[in-house]
Amino acid sequence: MMASIARSSLLRQVALVPKLPIATRLASQQSAIVNAARVATFHTTARRDLLPPLPQRVEGTVNDAAPVPETSPSHGSYHWTFDRLVAASLIPLTVAPFAAGSLNPTLDALLCATILIHSHTGFQNIIIDYVPKYRTPRARKLFVWGLNAATVVVGLALYEFETTDVGVTETIKRIWTA
Amino acid sequence: MIAQRAGTTALRRVAGKPNSFFTANVAKLGLAQPLSTTQTRPVATQKITAADAQALLAKQRLNRPVSPHLAIYDKQQTWFGGSAWQRITGSALSGGLYVFATAYLVAPLAGWHLESASLAAAFGALPLAAKGALKFLAAWPFAYHAVNGVRHLAFDLGYGFKRQTIVKTGWYIWGVSVVGGLYLAFFL
Repeated sequence: MMASIARSSLLRQVALVPKLPIATRLASQQSAIVNAARVATFHTTARRDLLPPLPQRVEGTVNDAAPVPETSPSHGSYHWTFDRLVAASLIPLTVAPFAAGSLNPTLDALLCATILIHSHTGFQNIIIDYVPKYRTPRARKLFVWGLNAATVVVGLALYEFETTDVGVTETIKRIWTA
Repeated sequence: MIAQRAGTTALRRVAGKPNSFFTANVAKLGLAQPLSTTQTRPVATQKITAADAQALLAKQRLNRPVSPHLAIYDKQQTWFGGSAWQRITGSALSGGLYVFATAYLVAPLAGWHLESASLAAAFGALPLAAKGALKFLAAWPFAYHAVNGVRHLAFDLGYGFKRQTIVKTGWYIWGVSVVGGLYLAFFL
């Protein structure tokens, strides 16, 4: 037990190599190099598994066209416009505390709520991009509901913070000038 | 096996298009009679179900190269691209907020002190260099996300789409965000 933990996997691999005469080993290495060179002539770029493909399945037959998703403005253009309005409304809310020194509680709460919505939709976009529904449906569901839960928790925490402490902008100011 | 097949193929070719040398020496070579023109392959096919075939196909597809590859593009687009860093800085800022807010909510249960007064006191006790570094660590992503966010809103309204403009403003954003981050961290 101890020995197997102490020994590194590389050492173990070396130990597993059959004891061949050196001449045979050299010959096999040589042939491996020649084969690699032969294969490499057909490849213009090296293969790097930076982003390995996710699991996939074939819907219908291979000759079927990719299904076009149902159009829905509330998931499309309305959602897009809403996202932009939220982002744009963050500009005055972000500039105001720099101009005025701090924010009053109402504006501070508004800033927190807007940032929360902006963060939530931002994280949603990330999940939609990187956890595709057609490849990893279960992971997608897990991430979406995990985000929903996290946003509820953060909303609750921000409510607590806004009602019991001095507010987000004032806190940042105090930490910044501490 | 392949050598064997290559030999058979060569013989078949010769048999189909006989040349004078070959026909003259057929008897000598003793090949006239037993030369077979049917190709044999040392493999066997087997029937599989449609579901298995689909599974095999899906498995084969995983061996296809992933495209597009990150390394084939212009460096500015891939590594300094505004939209990628917008996402990175945004998720860093929002991730920080989510982590802090969750910690704040469980703080009374865990016995932590995360109220503004103790945070400010703890931060104030740090050495000057650490303060500046931490502030810059927060200020730079904020500056980048804010300035580049405005650029993206301009894109969304249809402005600034000339190729030169995209490249130029892409670099301006980096300059402005670094200067802005340094200003926020050390002069505010």
